Amino acid sequence: MRASYVCLFSIFMLSAAIPQEPVSPKLTPTIITSTRQVTLFTGMEKQMLQAVQKKDRVALEGMLSDDFEVAMPNADPLASEDWVDSVMAQDFILKSYVIRQMSVADLGEAAVVKFERFQQGTYKARNESGEFFVVDLWKKSGDSWKLANRYVARVGATSSSAKTQSRPSGKE
Amino acid sequence: MTFKARHTFAFLLVILAANLLLAQRPLDNPQQPDIAPSGHNPEVLQGTMERAKPTGPTVVTGNGINYHGGPVLQGNPVPIYVIWYGNWNGTGSNTQATVSLIDTFLNSLGNTGYERINTTYGDNTGNVSGNLALASQVFDTGSEGTRLKNSRISAAISAQLKSGGLPTDPNGVYLFLTSSNVSESGFCSQFCGFHTHQTLNGADIKWAFIGNSDRCPSACAIQSTGPNSPAPGVGGADGMVNVITHETEEAITDPDLNAWFDSTGNEDADKCNFRFGPTSTASNGAQFNQTFGGHNWMMQMEWENSRGGGCDQTLGGPFF
Repeated sequence: MRASYVCLFSIFMLSAAIPQEPVSPKLTPTIITSTRQVTLFTGMEKQMLQAVQKKDRVALEGMLSDDFEVAMPNADPLASEDWVDSVMAQDFILKSYVIRQMSVADLGEAAVVKFERFQQGTYKARNESGEFFVVDLWKKSGDSWKLANRYVARVGATSSSAKTQSRPSGKE
Repeated sequence: MTFKARHTFAFLLVILAANLLLAQRPLDNPQQPDIAPSGHNPEVLQGTMERAKPTGPTVVTGNGINYHGGPVLQGNPVPIYVIWYGNWNGTGSNTQATVSLIDTFLNSLGNTGYERINTTYGDNTGNVSGNLALASQVFDTGSEGTRLKNSRISAAISAQLKSGGLPTDPNGVYLFLTSSNVSESGFCSQFCGFHTHQTLNGADIKWAFIGNSDRCPSACAIQSTGPNSPAPGVGGADGMVNVITHETEEAITDPDLNAWFDSTGNEDADKCNFRFGPTSTASNGAQFNQTFGGHNWMMQMEWENSRGGGCDQTLGGPFF
């Protein structure tokens, strides 16, 4: 009987302490006024995605620097030509996309652009939908910008699970 | 177990259950996370058509922006409260000249053709008046330090409400304006300002953050020298005016983030962000597109919720 009381009293004391622990607070949504660069690069990223949707190789290549490459977890870097070929493939269908949470570090002649992209698409009827974390390095080229490097990873992918997956397709 | 023991056991169980229930309650505001997601989740993805919701007689839809059932601020005028945070007795644009300029702006913006664009928005009880006015303002030289995050801004505003420095007014808009030595997570890299709402001092308070754009002119200023610059290259006050306009328009038409926005989550001012339309040139070489209150101003256009919808500089004016 006494043991039961002690046990129950201990639980009681423990539970009384629980409210002192930080509880995940409710998120306060905010509606932001994007910076000029976020507005600019959101537009350029959308242009690229629209070129992919329309299979407009000229428009897409016109936005890439000569040494453009894509880096993904657990894979060799993908050269510009290979990446363009992969997203221009007729059996890759980019149905829709959303870009969000973009931030831009303006370095003068270069800009580091980070964002999340949600896409719906298929490749050879295989589902290529998902959410991706993207970091793009844009470089000034005269009066315009060219995409020089892309680092992209699927959101939620872990290194252990990624190792067991097949080689990234380049659609990311 | 005896009757007494059973009784005590049951009593302890009740207290235990009550404690566990209390533990489920979230902490009170303003303890908020510092990186908040966008308040609007796009209902449909890019490239699909918007669909207007059926609404009451005072709500007009079908102009590229949709009504989602929440209230708008209908005050005539909508009271604006300002917290000047940081050092506003400094140099550059961190001066009392900026304070005076923005006071003038807030006291003359109401009922202009520009502000009346907002009258095209309403809820099921009435429309936005198109009038706003500076109600009161306070100075906080840095109660929460110079490295801010959302929770610290909430705390600073909350302190003003609790101390009576500012009234607790759920029908007003609180502008939290920071000097250029103050940082805020995401300011300059992601945004120039934002608006939100949360329960502070027991009321649903609508507040907005706007940083001095002299901290990052390439990100948040329109031009290095504005029409009201005290010296060449000091454009912070004009840059802030532009963002203040953006945030107040949105805080009035979408105060609780559940009234007016489009299928991608963009509110009325987002749809015209950094778009100015035709401009004129001031004597100091700066561009401007509005004149009122004895000053020239360079302000982004707003989305008019009529005539099919579009960005314009004045109610009923041409879309650009």
